[in-house]
Amino acid sequence: MSKPYTLQELLVIAVAKEIHDHENVILGVGLPTTAGAMAKALYAPHATLMMESGIIDFEPLLPLNHIADAHSCRGFSYATDLFSAFTMTYRGFVDVCFLGVGQVDKYGNLNTTAIGDYYKPKMRLPGSGGAADFISYAKRTVLTMLGGNFVNKLDYFTSPGYLDGGDSRDKSGLFPKGSGPTMLLSTKGVFRFDPVTKEIYLAQIHPRVTIEDVKKDVPWDLKIAPDLSETPRPTDEEIDFIRRFAPAMSAGRELSMELTIGNMMKMLKA
Amino acid sequence: MVDVNGKVMSAKEAINRFVHDGDALVIGNYTVGSCAELVYEVIRQGRKGLTLYSQSGIFDVETIVGAGCVDRLVTTYCLRAGGKKGGSAVERGLNAGTLQIEDYSNFQYNARLMAGMHGFSYIQVLEGAMVTDLFHKRSFMGENKFRVIKCPYTGKDQLTVPAANPDVCIVHVQRCDKFGNAQYWGALGSVAAAALASKRIVVSCEEIVEHDVIQSSPHLTLIPAYRVDAVVEVPWGANPTEVLGYYNMDQFMYGLFMMADGTADGLKAWMDEWVFGCENRAAYIDHYIQKFGSKVLDGIRAKAFYSAPANYGSAFTSRWDREGKERNMGMTLPEFEQTLKERGKLYE
Repeated sequence: MSKPYTLQELLVIAVAKEIHDHENVILGVGLPTTAGAMAKALYAPHATLMMESGIIDFEPLLPLNHIADAHSCRGFSYATDLFSAFTMTYRGFVDVCFLGVGQVDKYGNLNTTAIGDYYKPKMRLPGSGGAADFISYAKRTVLTMLGGNFVNKLDYFTSPGYLDGGDSRDKSGLFPKGSGPTMLLSTKGVFRFDPVTKEIYLAQIHPRVTIEDVKKDVPWDLKIAPDLSETPRPTDEEIDFIRRFAPAMSAGRELSMELTIGNMMKMLKA
Repeated sequence: MVDVNGKVMSAKEAINRFVHDGDALVIGNYTVGSCAELVYEVIRQGRKGLTLYSQSGIFDVETIVGAGCVDRLVTTYCLRAGGKKGGSAVERGLNAGTLQIEDYSNFQYNARLMAGMHGFSYIQVLEGAMVTDLFHKRSFMGENKFRVIKCPYTGKDQLTVPAANPDVCIVHVQRCDKFGNAQYWGALGSVAAAALASKRIVVSCEEIVEHDVIQSSPHLTLIPAYRVDAVVEVPWGANPTEVLGYYNMDQFMYGLFMMADGTADGLKAWMDEWVFGCENRAAYIDHYIQKFGSKVLDGIRAKAFYSAPANYGSAFTSRWDREGKERNMGMTLPEFEQTLKERGKLYE
């Protein structure tokens, strides 16, 4: 049995395993960059890590503050611009990209723009950023949902998953054949998409979570894989990597913010 | 550095001369190293009715929108402070009806500037977005947010966006000469397109360097002098964001901003102190150090990691060799002039 781990460490590792050696990988900020750094260090030394700001083939030494953070590595191999980062995706040179989720529907379509009415939003979310174009043209897309929700109907359709399910994405003629989201990670489990219906189903469940816990977040009758497995616990090597590379990631957003603000308050008083 | 008749001037003068009420203003920086001092100066001078273009809104968009300078925002990404319970100046503006927003994807937004930069009237973007609400939900651009055309070669439907040529770009870079050759390195993002698409360009930089520094590293020049209207030297000009080779992100100041930005009153109090309360960047840094000491700023100064120099050398720099002979014709200048005379090529 490996040493005790945090939930965030389990999540990072589940994402890191979606990166294979020799792949071209577009990383989003937060959990995916830590996962990317770990994959490159432990499982995929020849992966080319990329960011839409035009920073290509980098080896992060620190967790990235954002997708234009050249301060977190000592140099990188190719400095291009945002325009070219997307046209190379359009031309099929990106194997996998990672996107965050505000709302997701049954077929992996995403909203990261607004909750409620778009013009008078109950909550204005960030927007598309790179999401709509990356999920359109990367060969695979991995979705990470830490604060988001499953919904029957998106409040705003930002980024295309499998549209109406079945072969509707491929039939639209707008996307490369076979592209689309392949996995969604939540704090409760790992979800994948049925190869025929393209409906999302629960493929793995995290330790200490029940199927009922997962189902209560989903407003339709969620399908469960017949061979449902438990998300494997991290190894000591994986845990050590994350704690050294990104201790705030191990702690999770709430605790790391609490500790940081506490430290800021101390500085303000001093 | 004061250059009385030239382009070098203070932020106050540059904004006064080149940014006007009702302008379409583009913030040239993308996520990193934003032109904080130029944005704050626009706010201090109380510009109104701006259409703001921002590739990715961070504290810059929040402050300029929070100050009421902006009526219309063209963007791909907005900052939100404090997660679900928090908020943002953009969200407050939308709900109050004082702000309209036009949402694009990162590529679509950049493509509009790219078309503008190159003088095209529109440009093809990636057709997948036709199924999304980016395409279907439109604000002040209406029909002209996107148009679908037939490709004359393949017959396929193509999604297009119109060119954008903002009135003025404000942008921060690492270094610039007094003529306006602006050098920027790191995450290139959409900096060049934002600047070059614009009719006027105001550059702020960490330092003004001699022209020969620029000439020995032209691959770093993103904006050429002949396009630049004003050059403003502003050390720490992007704080609380970061400038590669100069300083890191200031998590402490950013943290103070984020704690304030969730509410209108909080943001106003923060701006009263850090924008309106400091007449320029030097005053801002003085106030910062007076209030918190110099520990934070000292702690985020970059340690050097130099780029390997690119060799721009060549075999010779004169047609005349060390013996004074022309390299191909093999004669000295007096011999050459004698020949011109003998051959009847010279006129009195």
